[in-house]
Amino acid sequence: MPAKRNIRARKPAARKAPRPKLEEAAQWVGKPLPRKEEGRLVRGKGKFVDDYELPGMLHLWLVRSPYGHARVTHIDVSQAEAQPGVVCTLTGPEVAKLVRPFLEIGPEPGAKIVDYPMGVDKVRYQGEPVAAVVAETALAAADAAELVRVDYEPLPAVVDPEDALRDATLLHESAGTNVVWQGEFDYGDVDKAFQQAAHIVHIDRLHFHRFTSAPLEPNAVIAQWDPGEDFITFWCNNSFPAFAIQFLALALGIRIDQMRVQTYDIGGSFGIKITNYPYMALCALASRKAGGRPVKWIETRTDHMTASAHGNERVFRSTRVALDTSGRILAIESRHIDDCGAYPRYEPLGCIIWAQVLPGAYRFRNYRVRFTQVTTNKCPVGPNRGYSRMQHLWFLERVVDICAHALGIPADEMRRRNYIRADEFPYTTPNGCVYDSGDYARMLALAQERIGWDDWKEKQRRARAEGRLVGIGIGTTLDSGTNNFGQSRLLNPNAPFSGQSGVAIVKLGIDGNISVSLGSVPQGQGHETTSAQVVADVLNVTPELVSVRPGFDTERNAHTGHSGTYASQFAVTGLSAAHGAAQKLKAEMKRLAVFALNAKEDKLEFGMGAQGPEVRVRGSDKAIPYWGLANLVNVNNAVLPAKLQDVTLNCRYVYRPPFRLPDLKRKYGNLTLTYSAQLHIAVIEVDRDTYVPRILDYAVVDDCGRVVNPLIVEGQVHGATAHGIGAALLETCSYDENGNLRNATFSDYVPITSVNMPTLRTGHLESPSPFTFNGAKGMGEGGGAPLHAISAALQDALYAQGVIIDDSHNNASSLFHLLERTRAGRAAQIVRVESRAAAARR
Amino acid sequence: MYPRPFRYHRAASIREAVSLLAELGEEAKLLAGGQSLIPLMKLRLASPHHLVDLNFIPDLSYVRPEDGLLRFGALTRHAEVEASPAAQQIPILHDCAAGIADVQVRNRGTLGGSLAEADPSGDWAPVLLTLPTEVVCVGPEGERTLPLAEFFVDAYTTVLRPAELIREVVVRRPPPGSGGAYLAVKRSAPVYATATAAVQLMLADRETCSEAGIALGAVGLTPIKAAEAEAALRGQRLTPDTITRAAEAASAACDPQPDGRGSAAYKRALVGALVKRAIALAARRARGEQVEVSHIYA
Ligand SMILES: Cc1cc2nc3c(=O)[nH]c(=O)nc-3n(C[C@H](O)[C@H](O)[C@H](O)COP(=O)(O)OP(=O)(O)OC[C@H]3O[C@@H](n4cnc5c(N)ncnc54)[C@H](O)[C@@H]3O)c2cc1C
Repeated sequence: MPAKRNIRARKPAARKAPRPKLEEAAQWVGKPLPRKEEGRLVRGKGKFVDDYELPGMLHLWLVRSPYGHARVTHIDVSQAEAQPGVVCTLTGPEVAKLVRPFLEIGPEPGAKIVDYPMGVDKVRYQGEPVAAVVAETALAAADAAELVRVDYEPLPAVVDPEDALRDATLLHESAGTNVVWQGEFDYGDVDKAFQQAAHIVHIDRLHFHRFTSAPLEPNAVIAQWDPGEDFITFWCNNSFPAFAIQFLALALGIRIDQMRVQTYDIGGSFGIKITNYPYMALCALASRKAGGRPVKWIETRTDHMTASAHGNERVFRSTRVALDTSGRILAIESRHIDDCGAYPRYEPLGCIIWAQVLPGAYRFRNYRVRFTQVTTNKCPVGPNRGYSRMQHLWFLERVVDICAHALGIPADEMRRRNYIRADEFPYTTPNGCVYDSGDYARMLALAQERIGWDDWKEKQRRARAEGRLVGIGIGTTLDSGTNNFGQSRLLNPNAPFSGQSGVAIVKLGIDGNISVSLGSVPQGQGHETTSAQVVADVLNVTPELVSVRPGFDTERNAHTGHSGTYASQFAVTGLSAAHGAAQKLKAEMKRLAVFALNAKEDKLEFGMGAQGPEVRVRGSDKAIPYWGLANLVNVNNAVLPAKLQDVTLNCRYVYRPPFRLPDLKRKYGNLTLTYSAQLHIAVIEVDRDTYVPRILDYAVVDDCGRVVNPLIVEGQVHGATAHGIGAALLETCSYDENGNLRNATFSDYVPITSVNMPTLRTGHLESPSPFTFNGAKGMGEGGGAPLHAISAALQDALYAQGVIIDDSHNNASSLFHLLERTRAGRAAQIVRVESRAAAARR
Repeated sequence: MYPRPFRYHRAASIREAVSLLAELGEEAKLLAGGQSLIPLMKLRLASPHHLVDLNFIPDLSYVRPEDGLLRFGALTRHAEVEASPAAQQIPILHDCAAGIADVQVRNRGTLGGSLAEADPSGDWAPVLLTLPTEVVCVGPEGERTLPLAEFFVDAYTTVLRPAELIREVVVRRPPPGSGGAYLAVKRSAPVYATATAAVQLMLADRETCSEAGIALGAVGLTPIKAAEAEAALRGQRLTPDTITRAAEAASAACDPQPDGRGSAAYKRALVGALVKRAIALAARRARGEQVEVSHIYA
């Protein structure tokens, strides 16, 4: 309309820059902004622990056990201490005198386990530290460490979780058993469901293998224990510092405010750096012994693979599935044995965390499991990406596929019959979790469309006619985020934590700059970018004008007792906090502007002016820049009226999700706030001659509610997919019967690389969460969908040959043996179907 | 990386390298591309007291065609072979060079180093065993030339004497009507193969195999020359039956160890599959077809 344009043209000439009204302001949330942190990271200018060089810094080298299980009878450090450049040493028995054992989260029997940062009279996994050498250089320390004499008396090792259950060989004599925790979970009426079932499918044993995420940067710590102040400063890459400092304070006998923990750039954690606090303790002790000089420890790749943390291994025994005539699952009953390696550390939390997704994406209401966790002579586990839910969801997807094949129902149809329906959200699971939103059937349809399902079915038919082994598999997974620590009470009623929180400080600085400090520990998730997007939207500025402090810092940044980066939650806890703090700041700015501009509050608008951001009175020339408001508080404050005395422009906000404590008796309650979902479809061919499984096509559909930054979400989806494909086909921590890790280097472990990656056909669905301020859900972990999809595709490819995929890891050699065994008629009978109804198909 | 202490020596000539080795004795090691030696030193599995660096010796890195021969300097990088037009005329050499690990390794690692290392999983040895190849060695007593077939003794062990080094590798170019192919199964680019098969054929009339060289890698302590598999092809028409017989003979000839890459039984089966495919590819190339060959990555 020409008339409208004329009105605009008549605006005062001085105002050259476009002036968006509040309602029209750029919505930065939802834009695919490149990451703010890219500038330094891509150019190699990031700052990692190893980049810090402090005056007088010493280096620590660990002497580690070559045995999986052995008694330590004698340690002699005299020769090492005599080497040039060596300042001091530490040994297990010495450390045991200096610290208290780490806190055990669980109740007895696990609580009776004694966990020191070094093996004392015994070592329980290969690579467990037994002594440390501290020297002027890392090389001098490494050379001297070879001169530490340790006498071992090797003991029989237990590496299989089911063997561990028999307690024939004990890891922790103090506990009297290898069992860490055991519990029954029983929901609905399982027995009745089995009585009514048309089909009962028995699955003898399924196994989820042990692997790790192999972050590019291994663990790293610098600690300085200032003897004058009795204060410890840590530069580290621990990804859950609020948790670590509580463990460290108890062990070291200090208060948590006698410690400063800071992180800066981190080369990936995927959860496994949560449990690197024993090394933080060792560096602190070494620093104190060395008179307060800072002590640096950088883990080698081999040590990282051997002795940092691996993911949980789990065995699913004697599973029974009750189904009705049309293949609807009525009930599942099973026994799960989780293997946490030599020490529980973050465990037994994994014994409950799976229950966040107890029914997976499915509608069944009856579920019974006896869950047991055991220690074995293997590297302790850490909460590895997809932690505990991934293992459980893989189990459920195997159950669904095995039942589908057994009953002759197509895999997609089987899922459509069993998925929770879109109109059932928010959906309360049998154990009281509330799934916020989602539409699994639509995700499946979208993924089928992305991959060209019908086309592939036709191609598969033709390939099979040629004798080729082509399979198509679906993996449905959930990524539950923002956990309620109250669930720890289901393991240990006395656990002293519950709920969840996120914190942020948003500040308008003296010169008008907007700065944000967070309580998270970013390791590539782009927190600087997404929090800048959220704050920019509240304050109507561009994200470049919002500076976000990198890293975590108990002293300079905000933090709460939940602070860290874990459990797929930043989009909820971190961004809600940033949003809340920005709103608080905006409210203060408004009050100042009402006074400065002598205007009514509802006439004020925030936005970009010619000289930067300003608050102005709508429809007039009156405006005050943001720096002008800061000036009023910090520089020119005699003019301020008394009623504005409380304005600081430095606003801290703590976000707390609406959690309550679960009902301990019923093991019932809401354990997580949001539920992202991913649906993968893999098409795989197993080569008839080489047995190499090749991914022919791959589709990924994700739904993480409202997307804050599509680029970052896509990056997380790709990363999680790569981790999952790597785990499914390449990566496994392989131990021999003595507890020797057989593949501790990258040539043997073979982390996934780009040549192993298929091109991903991605698709998105947005089911906004009704429980978060912006509809977003956490999504970083991904839920391990490739493990589900690849197992399913392999089973689909080989089912006609009589093969059931019962392990989450499969490679050419293992597929060769699966096929050989069935060819020779020696296939293990792991699945049995009992059908009662006359209408039953089999 | 944190190796044990060592002393570094930079040789200016082959003669100096040899005399340094002779002088420093058993505790000295040559450093070529460092792609086998440095990882071992990093893990302290190898701890030479002295490193004699070959990298600054002039004219040790070349691919030189000469009267039906191709001469490779010992320090020629895998990447140089990959890019060399002369080497590309013998497709099996290109298959090998282009398929070794990743770009970083190919840019540093050398042909001489690969043969001297005698890693049971090394790629060059089986490939060069299918062609008439000689190794020119220089030691304190002077130079000697050995057929490659006599070069390997055991895993990581060659006939090289103390203070002796490889100066050059000489490959006889196959006559017209020849073709070869090299195939491996690798779990990812920067790791050694699970099994490999090198096949070099000559066809008399596009159908009948007049000469055959078959060698297997990563399935024994040394590369294995599969003589019975070769015999199964020689003088035969390349029918599916003949090819299967050769593949079976190759499977029987290998002696694999079980490890993280696969069980012995699997590797034996894999060798058969790879030999079968490599024969088919080699035959097509022998008939003048341009065929791209790539390893199989799991
Ligand atoms: C990640 C990775 C993956 C790899 N994957 C593969 C693969 O898939 N296939 C493959 O074939 N190789 C692979 N390699 C090894 C690579 O090809 C090496 O380059 C090669 O094995 C050794 O060559 P070099 O020049 O690096 O030798 P160096 O490491 O320098 O030396 C190796 C040994 O040979 C000796 N030596 C070197 N030059 C001579 C000479 N001229 N005369 C006598 N002795 C000599 C040295 O003293 C030393 O003992 C890989 C290496 C790495 C790091």
